[in-house]
Amino acid sequence: MSKKHFIHSPLTRREMLCVCKTGFGSLAMMGLFGSCVNTSDSKDLLARLGQAPQFIPKVKNIIFLYMDGGVSQVDSFDPKPRLAKENGDDPAKKFKVDATQFNNVGKILKSPWEFKQYGDCGMAVSELFPNIATCVDDLALIRSMVSEFPEHTNANYFLHTGNGQQGRPSMGSWITYGLGSENNNLPGYVVLDGGLIPPGGLDNFKNGFLPANYQASILHAGAEPIANIKPQELNPDLQKEKLKFIKHMDQSLLGSIGHADAVETAISNYELAFKMQSSVPELTQFASESAATKMMYGLNSDDPFTRSYGQQCLMARRLVERGVRFIELTCPAVGNGADRWDQHANLKDGHERNAHAVDLPIAGLLKDLKLRGLLNHTLVVWSGEFGRTPFAQGDNGRDHNPSAFSMWMAGAGIKGGTVYGQTDEYGYRVIEKKTTIHDLHATMLHLLGIDHTTLTYPFSGRNFRLTDVSGNIIHEILT
Amino acid sequence: MDQLNSVFKLIILITVGLCAQQCSQDPSATIPDHIDFNFDVKPILVQKCYLCHGPDSTGRKGGVRFDTYAGATAALKHGGKAIVPGHSDSSKLIERIHHTDPDMVMPPLESRLKLNDKEIAILTKWIKQGAEWKPHWAFIPPQSPDLSGLPKDQNAIDYFIGQRIKKAGLQAAGQANKNTLIRRVSYMLTGLPPSAESIDQYLADNNPDANEKMVDQYLHSNHFGEKWARHWMDVVRYAETKGHEFDYVIAGAWRYRDYLIRAFNQDIPYNQFVKEQLAGDLMTNVRRDPINGNDESHLGTVFYTMYEGTHSPVDVRKDESDRIDNMIDVTTKTFQGLTVACARCHDHKFDPILTKDYYSLYGIMESSRFSPVPATCSEKEEQSINKVNEIKTYVRKLIADQWMREITNSPNESIVFLKNAQPKKIEESGYKLIGDFRDIGIKDWKSDGHAFGQHTTLGDPLVDSSGNFKGLDEGKASSWILGTGIFGALRSPNFLIEKDFIGVRAKGAKATIRIIVDNFQLISYPIFGGLDQKVDTPAWKNFQFDVTLWKGHKAYIEILPGTFNTHVYNLPQDAFVEIQYATTFDRHWITPPLPADQSPIYPKTAIEHWSAFKASPEETGLLNRMLRAKLLSKNIAGIGELLAQRKQLTGLLKDTIFYNGIYDGYAINSHVFRRGNHLDETDMAPRKFITAIAQTDAPYQTTGSGRMELAESILDPKNPLTARVMVNRIWHHLFGRGIVETTDNFGLQGKLPSHPELLDFLAIKFQQDGWSVRKMIRYIMLSNTFKRAIQGDMKSNEVDPEDLLLTHYPMRRLEAEEIRDGLLAVSGRLDTTMYGPPVPSYITSFMQGRGRPKNSGPLDGNGRRSVYQEVRRNFPEPMMVTFDRPIPFSTFGKRNVSNVPAQSLIMMNDPFVLQQAEEMACLVTSGNMTTDKRIETIYKRAFARPPTLKEKTDAKLFLQTLASQYKVNEHDENAILSNLDIWRDYCHIIFNSKEFIYLS
Repeated sequence: MSKKHFIHSPLTRREMLCVCKTGFGSLAMMGLFGSCVNTSDSKDLLARLGQAPQFIPKVKNIIFLYMDGGVSQVDSFDPKPRLAKENGDDPAKKFKVDATQFNNVGKILKSPWEFKQYGDCGMAVSELFPNIATCVDDLALIRSMVSEFPEHTNANYFLHTGNGQQGRPSMGSWITYGLGSENNNLPGYVVLDGGLIPPGGLDNFKNGFLPANYQASILHAGAEPIANIKPQELNPDLQKEKLKFIKHMDQSLLGSIGHADAVETAISNYELAFKMQSSVPELTQFASESAATKMMYGLNSDDPFTRSYGQQCLMARRLVERGVRFIELTCPAVGNGADRWDQHANLKDGHERNAHAVDLPIAGLLKDLKLRGLLNHTLVVWSGEFGRTPFAQGDNGRDHNPSAFSMWMAGAGIKGGTVYGQTDEYGYRVIEKKTTIHDLHATMLHLLGIDHTTLTYPFSGRNFRLTDVSGNIIHEILT
Repeated sequence: MDQLNSVFKLIILITVGLCAQQCSQDPSATIPDHIDFNFDVKPILVQKCYLCHGPDSTGRKGGVRFDTYAGATAALKHGGKAIVPGHSDSSKLIERIHHTDPDMVMPPLESRLKLNDKEIAILTKWIKQGAEWKPHWAFIPPQSPDLSGLPKDQNAIDYFIGQRIKKAGLQAAGQANKNTLIRRVSYMLTGLPPSAESIDQYLADNNPDANEKMVDQYLHSNHFGEKWARHWMDVVRYAETKGHEFDYVIAGAWRYRDYLIRAFNQDIPYNQFVKEQLAGDLMTNVRRDPINGNDESHLGTVFYTMYEGTHSPVDVRKDESDRIDNMIDVTTKTFQGLTVACARCHDHKFDPILTKDYYSLYGIMESSRFSPVPATCSEKEEQSINKVNEIKTYVRKLIADQWMREITNSPNESIVFLKNAQPKKIEESGYKLIGDFRDIGIKDWKSDGHAFGQHTTLGDPLVDSSGNFKGLDEGKASSWILGTGIFGALRSPNFLIEKDFIGVRAKGAKATIRIIVDNFQLISYPIFGGLDQKVDTPAWKNFQFDVTLWKGHKAYIEILPGTFNTHVYNLPQDAFVEIQYATTFDRHWITPPLPADQSPIYPKTAIEHWSAFKASPEETGLLNRMLRAKLLSKNIAGIGELLAQRKQLTGLLKDTIFYNGIYDGYAINSHVFRRGNHLDETDMAPRKFITAIAQTDAPYQTTGSGRMELAESILDPKNPLTARVMVNRIWHHLFGRGIVETTDNFGLQGKLPSHPELLDFLAIKFQQDGWSVRKMIRYIMLSNTFKRAIQGDMKSNEVDPEDLLLTHYPMRRLEAEEIRDGLLAVSGRLDTTMYGPPVPSYITSFMQGRGRPKNSGPLDGNGRRSVYQEVRRNFPEPMMVTFDRPIPFSTFGKRNVSNVPAQSLIMMNDPFVLQQAEEMACLVTSGNMTTDKRIETIYKRAFARPPTLKEKTDAKLFLQTLASQYKVNEHDENAILSNLDIWRDYCHIIFNSKEFIYLS
């Protein structure tokens, strides 16, 4: 227990007002979805909090590509020739088999896909991801990830909040709490809903005990991306007239009650809310994007799920351009019994459907970010909540495996073409450079310029951290 | 003295040099004359020293500790003492604070914990004054404060608050006007705005007791319970689903919500209320619902069952430890304001709460069993059961009396003599008996509910369909003793699973046998499915459970009529179950032999034993043989009517409605888990109360869980926390901030009380007034402090910007439910129906995920109050969440108060708000009201006050603006009056005004 803990109390409303009092709606920005007026203000604020970046941050924005359900590592980024050799053998005779969720342990199952080496680095990628494979020189692959939970819900909470139970703030909340946002008219933490909300529900994206302003805003595709963003008045002037009169009434209330921070803040929230009514829908309109760009993201694909995930990826880039701090993409519901990467049966069909939906758009996103220079300050994180077993569940599925999985990162601060860590010959357990979710979080925060041990919030008698009492930065994959 | 001087010089240097602007005053000026350990010194030690020198022995550095007097004054390894009372100059603590060597200075530089000048001065002065040491303030029982200065007729609250205001040289604000007051009281006590009639009545009442009457009116309103139950629901993490992967329903959770509403409306004494939630199933004096006679006490135990429930956990023991962790967390925060769950992995960093204490409580939770509980268990039903049992005893007596006469008259009396056959030999190692019901009693099994009773059926008179007595029954546990469709559960003692199989020989209809491993209830596929087997067979059958996966786990067998369908228990009218025995074995099913009794059996003793419900299987067998041999007669005078009467009585007994509650299990003492890891067990932690506040060190002596003992420890008159925590919760709800701001944390990391004497006074008064929540609220509300206006003067805004001294009443935003219910009330849509199943949530396209309800509820929730709207863990209502209703995972005595544009968006654009605006527009446009009258009506409903002249003029102008938007002639008053759109939009802006959602 040599960890450092720092004790500070959250700013009071009044303190925030003092710090952020720079005209219209300043506190509201802060209040909205975790943003402050501008960077200098937020630095000042953070300095006061004792959690100012201790080093120059490499990353300003994070895009988290969440692979819901758990991609099979031995079928994607961690080739295991031994599985082909021993295909059909009883795994219990080869190694100790842990309890699994479905307890239907079958035979050793070889990967249905071939692996090939790509790029200058020669990283091996399976046929599932032919497009992502063209970006390997930008990726740092970690083959030695472990989770602590073999059930989706707990593993999801763990991946998202650093704790396996419901109720903790998610990483996006922590990050916006720590850094604020750079955009005044948009939330700092956005989830682009592809159709599948992960098991565990919206609590994966919630603020937990942090103030409600730090929860994710869930953006849907379509005309109403955020709840209640669409004015109900048919005529925009009518809404303006109404808001004007509300403000008039509120001002006279202020006149009678005198000094009231909360009321002043609530008044300015209305002005921001009004602006969001146009700034949010504008995001979803791709009129200004070129045909080539759209093609890069797969918007012209025959596969409707490639198109929908492509739209999410393109939206993610647009959010990065607008300074949104943390963006998570959830998976599309590809149907045919293959929703999520959770193939307890029919591995081949299910993984192929899911891979086809995300492969081209993700490659497009990486290339587009690079082209526009956005990758210089954006971190792209690709991960599921756990891996899958190298032996079959039943005949042709794979069960959950928290003892090993692969994930990758790309972008600012990342040493491209790196392969980090190693699993055993079956891809069942990590044998080298075991990397935990806490390590992943610590590394993400580090890239953002935050020491993960100092980003704390007092609740229920102690100072909580995203990384709890653990977390080591994975220096070897960093530039 | 020289040294002290240099200290001060240093302080001044730092002061001037580093923070010239902020703290130009001499720090000593603000230091009290007498340093109080708890209020002045301890906060510094806790914040700056305890991380390495606190109660947690694992992280302690250099063996130095400042959490005990002995530790702080002990001789140090390298000589000297950290604290030498009376001598700051020889105290190493002071030396190290001032040390110039960066490796020696305390706190260490890398900790970034820096002592400021004032803190250093306080520590120094305190040591000089003798380093007085006291237990943590909250662990010292409340002391009766000195009230000698209290003028007669003055409310003690005003006295305590007034003293501090006076000392600070401030002026208290005047009283709020009557309109403001009634709105404040109405929202606070009922969560609803005052009705127009109540306002008129109150304004017209010029008697001196008008205020008192108004407060009493709301305190006795049925809506009072609805509002205050919701406060409690925040504390106990109330939810109606289990969350996790599929968000399973918690059956009957809403009955607990109704229980809370009734409890607050009936002003159930708080000590009773506490006891019911902790041990309502164990109370000898059951409290009953005055209307239907149902058991209210047992309903309280639903409190425990509100935890998040894991679907199919791979490590079921770990799941249990997480579940119990949540129960400990909520129980200790709720009733004691202590965060004991922090001690799960190591001794509490800041509070003197030991890991061992945590595991003492762990055993209590582990020894309790979750179960369906019949909701309609009335006194009448229990009387019927007693009557049935009386008849049963009487019938045996009647029969036995006649038999005795028959055998004494018989010449063969002395020669009947039978020996049991030699039992077969069984290989002992192959199996283990868990329960055998072929004999007389159910022995060490628990019979919860009424169905099974405490006896087996051995020797019960068998009656044919026409009511004729035809012999004596064999031995078996049966849920049919009173009839079918009656709830009961037969549960074995806990045992360790050591063999591959568990076997139960049973028969029945629509019944269930479950193996409960580590108290895990959500039994279903993919792993646990086999642990729940349905019994649906009229003939005896062997039910076999493969438990190889759970070897080494603790388990018990649960047998009950009825079935679980997606974790919801239901009991068909014709359900029953009967069991002969239960065993555990490795390979083959083995029928356990009956106990062999070789002694001779005499008819006379057999009859005597039988009459007293003590006849052995052999004796019963003998009597049956004698019956068959006609040595005993089957024609017994008078039993026909008795059996008919019995049948009639039992026919009335049916249990159809259930909730998830608790029954007691068997005492389990837990080990301490090293670093919270359930696989790493260390010392035993016998069940007992938290050491730091327990009155005795002795473990609980009970064969049950110890929950009643826990309740008694919490309600011990010497418990320093229970009353304080509750009065502070009440204060928090009435003023928006507790006397202790951290309502759920009275530990060292919690805030210190702003008015400690007042808190003690109220805590003592609360107990003296019979733990009456209503009286306490009334007392606070009738104080001048509560009635103050919200406007503070310039000076108090400057000196006390947070209004800690309560010079004026703190303004605040309405809570989520108050906003929604307020909209319904002012629009006229409110349906005041009380109680009952929740109204299904309105599901928007933004609410997605597994377990999403197939059908959405109505947009306006049928106009019912928010407390009756469904609380789904994984699909919380967006409006509630956005306005800060807490996520139900832990105790939230104090809600967040966020202030975000998402709230503005709801009020501006949410269809529900628009719908209510339209409702209200219909209401005001329906009569013959003039424009003026309409505006007045709207103001009264929404703001509980009349509009000013200017407001009226402004409103009319705005109505004209709206008219032009809707292409209505703005100068035609009648046209405006009849246009619903205009009035809807006007009502909509009223809802959006800040006055509507703020309480002044």
